[in-house]
Amino acid sequence: MIKFGIEFVPREAYWKIMYYVIQAERGGFSNLWITDHFNNRNVYATLAAASIYTDQITLGPGVTNPFMVNPVFTAQAAATLDEMAPGRVVLGIGAGDKTTLETVGVEMQKPLTAVQESIAIIRGMLDGESVSFSGDVFRTAGAKFLFKTRRIPVYVGAQGPKMLALAGKIGDGVLINACNPQDVEFAVKSVKEGINEAGRKLEEVDVAVYTAFSVNQDIKKATKAAVPPVSFIVAGCPPQLLERHGINVGTAGEIREALKANDWGRAFGEVTPEMISAFSVCGTPAMCTERIAELLKSGITQFVAGSPIGANVREAIQLLSREILPFFKK
Amino acid sequence: MDYNGLVDLVDESRWQSLSDKLVDLLLTTKNDEKMPNTLARSILHLWQQDRLVSKLGLAVLLEAGVRLEPERTLSTLSELNLGILESKIREDLPQ
Repeated sequence: MIKFGIEFVPREAYWKIMYYVIQAERGGFSNLWITDHFNNRNVYATLAAASIYTDQITLGPGVTNPFMVNPVFTAQAAATLDEMAPGRVVLGIGAGDKTTLETVGVEMQKPLTAVQESIAIIRGMLDGESVSFSGDVFRTAGAKFLFKTRRIPVYVGAQGPKMLALAGKIGDGVLINACNPQDVEFAVKSVKEGINEAGRKLEEVDVAVYTAFSVNQDIKKATKAAVPPVSFIVAGCPPQLLERHGINVGTAGEIREALKANDWGRAFGEVTPEMISAFSVCGTPAMCTERIAELLKSGITQFVAGSPIGANVREAIQLLSREILPFFKK
Repeated sequence: MDYNGLVDLVDESRWQSLSDKLVDLLLTTKNDEKMPNTLARSILHLWQQDRLVSKLGLAVLLEAGVRLEPERTLSTLSELNLGILESKIREDLPQ
């Protein structure tokens, strides 16, 4: 059966996020993902609070990256969290966002290698080994925890074909950044290539699609809420992906420039219905249900409702819990 | 302000709508820093137990509403035709 995950961005006070977390667990979500951005609240502090306010939901960063956070520290944070929520912790890790990394002067060096090496270090540390590692990006010399730890499932956040294949090769799960059936199908194919190459079975990998999601009974409100995240997605999209969806590359460039200049009105004003359709799951509960059903055909095993979730997050979680999740749990 | 006493002025049939409105008001406020940590924890504790639609739940939500968003809280009470409660709170608010 399909699992449902939900993503929160800790840009609001912790008690607001915890309200939604409790609501999501009660509403039937199986996975909680908290984003990791230096300019929001800290992901692990937020997850620690979530582990206290919940009993069943599986939780983890969605996703951290090895450039901003050294893999040894990531392993430590995940292991500590696993003490607080035994057996409920997963770890999402990807290459990170180049623009964000540049803001803090961190270079995104060999992203594929960095993710692969960091996962090797994290797993070694969690397995209780004394990790001596000499890679192209990371090195450790006998790094070992002084407390008991255990292996935690690692999900690889991926969008491009190489990272998707790597996720299939080494991940316990993959978090696919896509919303459109065409893109998800393409991504799942790459994941399967990695799985086959590693001689693994498809069932060994939780294939999660991580979407920009917005639901409301009023389609206009749902769409309005989806515009800001879609503008950021379009701005960061490679030209081939834009062209695949018939989106004007020039317009995407204009959105990028407007966002850089903090001219939100101009950026959001350029977002078209085609962009919303390509880069979000957005609409009334019936429309969102239909889109999720389409995505399921690609063989995904987890659907993640990501930011913004809805114009009113509380109402959106309620709609998901009462109208959308039950449809797929029948 | 005796919030427990104030909740007695609300008929039980209105508890759900008052609770929903106050929660929405708190989740959308920009005055996060005005929320005392003990009050936030009380709200979350009661929410965990699904008790925000109760006398105690309404009392903590009302207190938080008055602390973080006094004018919006009063407007909410007015919208819900809880005029007596609105007047009592208004009387006790610092001028």
